[in-house]
Amino acid sequence: MQYSMKRLLQVGLLGLLAALAMSSAGCKTRPKNVTALPGSEARAGGTDLPAGKPLPSGGNTGNGFAGTSPGARPYNPNNTGPGVDLPPATDGIDKPIGNTPLPAGGFGEGRTEDRETLKANVVYFEYDKSAVKKSEQIKVAAVAEYLKSHPDALLTVEGNCDERGTEGYNLALGERRALAVREALLNLGVPAASVSTVSFGEARPADPAQTDAAYAKNRRAEFVLLPANAAAVR
Amino acid sequence: MIRFTNCRQGFMAALVAVVFTCHGWAQEASIVIEDKVAGLVPIHISGYTGEVDQTLKFDLEVAGFVLVAPDKARYTLTGKNGTQVEGTLADSARRAVLARSYPGGTPRAQAHSLSDDVVQAVTGRPGIARTKLAFKHETGKRNQHNEMVSEIFVADYDGANAFQLTQDGTVSRSPAWQPGHRTLFYTSFRPGRPCIFSHDLATGARSPISNFNGMNDGAAISPDGTKIAMVLSKGGSPDIWVGNVDGSGLRQLTSTREAESSPTWSPDSRTLCFSSSEGGGTRLQLISASGGSMRPLNIGGLRGATEPDWSPDGKWIAFTRMGGGKNFEIYRVDAAGGVAEQIGEGEDPSWAPNSRTLAVIRRQGNVRKLSLLDAFTKQPKDVRTISGSCGQPSWAK
Repeated sequence: MQYSMKRLLQVGLLGLLAALAMSSAGCKTRPKNVTALPGSEARAGGTDLPAGKPLPSGGNTGNGFAGTSPGARPYNPNNTGPGVDLPPATDGIDKPIGNTPLPAGGFGEGRTEDRETLKANVVYFEYDKSAVKKSEQIKVAAVAEYLKSHPDALLTVEGNCDERGTEGYNLALGERRALAVREALLNLGVPAASVSTVSFGEARPADPAQTDAAYAKNRRAEFVLLPANAAAVR
Repeated sequence: MIRFTNCRQGFMAALVAVVFTCHGWAQEASIVIEDKVAGLVPIHISGYTGEVDQTLKFDLEVAGFVLVAPDKARYTLTGKNGTQVEGTLADSARRAVLARSYPGGTPRAQAHSLSDDVVQAVTGRPGIARTKLAFKHETGKRNQHNEMVSEIFVADYDGANAFQLTQDGTVSRSPAWQPGHRTLFYTSFRPGRPCIFSHDLATGARSPISNFNGMNDGAAISPDGTKIAMVLSKGGSPDIWVGNVDGSGLRQLTSTREAESSPTWSPDSRTLCFSSSEGGGTRLQLISASGGSMRPLNIGGLRGATEPDWSPDGKWIAFTRMGGGKNFEIYRVDAAGGVAEQIGEGEDPSWAPNSRTLAVIRRQGNVRKLSLLDAFTKQPKDVRTISGSCGQPSWAK
């Protein structure tokens, strides 16, 4: 009895998402203006520095956080979600996208994170790529529809990478993935002020195993909803 | 002068002499290239015990020495430790090069002082045994947000006396020293999203420097201590931005559609090198810190170059090459461009003040180890005093 109820709910949810996605399938991607890079210029020459000095001796002390009061984050249940292995799709790779500035100023401060509502829409990426594949666009469309029907809600897109890249590179790649998803949302009519991004690089693997299947689950963007009124959600 | 004992050695010597003479290191080259063990300086150490013995041997191996039997040694270091460390360094003709005692401080500090003097006497350049490193350290635990918790640590260059600087219980990463100051810059997720902080080690005070929406990462402080370069995505793409060290006066240097990462400064604080994905793949780019356009650094056509780090003497840029997969290689290239030379395995190189040693990270299974790599001899030396995974070393300068 319990099982069939759950099953019914799942089917119903999937149907709703599919309907939402189809309703937005007609949207076309806007071409973006691209600023051409100017020509090259001469580099300033380097000069020698005096030899390095050891630090003064003495203990490193203090862990105070003067000048800032970083607030603790509200608790949210873990969301590792069942990942799926992706076929080696080649669609939609490297589609150029424009740069739309992120919202300025505070974003969703004081709001409670909701990782549940949109958890079925995790967007997966090809190795070393940040383009949103065609197979993933239905998920982005579902998120866009949700946001358009909840205009007070804000959204953070979290970009993640597998570990097969240097840390420095993966931080930027994760952000690039989050920004690519954001751009796709904006192309579907979501206001730019509603969506921000964050990159975890390789610091938050969905599956820490060192296998191709795990890597495929880790190359992803997750959606964190910031509802206007936390109590109204769910 | 340089003496050649056989043909192969002579060829190597000539090759190395040309390279080093070009950089004004002829004196040092004459010492390094006479050795028969791939540029390593053979030394025999005797008379020390316990921590002092281990510390001396670690220091000198990192500095390009190799421990050998007395009859194979170019130098012998003899002495003792007790209330103080004493040492006499003699060359192969048994001439004393150095004879000194080291009272005061811990036995470890005394040993570091002696090895620095040995390095100075043999190479003519200051040692690095009393310098410090900052790095990211992962305990392997996840917090309630499912993040791999990482904290910023500061330690002696050999991993000893490690001090946990942050206690944020979240992702902290990308530590960078402010040259000439005891201040670290790093990114912490403590506010709920990435924010770059400056952290004064003397007072413990920390201040938010960059707290924009999106990415705030990759802080690099100019060698003159006045400017900060960062990777911010507030413009809609991860770009290089430069501002005053307090975060004011921000200026966007790159505006590509692809990702830039890992900015590093030239010693004159006028030029930045960074990695960019613009145009496909990743390559190293240079740009004036006052603005203008970026231009590629010639590294001889290698692909997948990331994480550049400019040596303090200005001569070299070390970087990581991603060859695909999880194994990374460390290269160095003349800062003016040229053919890059592989000097080891690992990632995220950071130059020591001597412009010779690099702190790198080597992945071994699931663990990431801090390792010190000698760019001259290509000899790696793993730091074994730290358990767990380390990342993103930054050498204090």
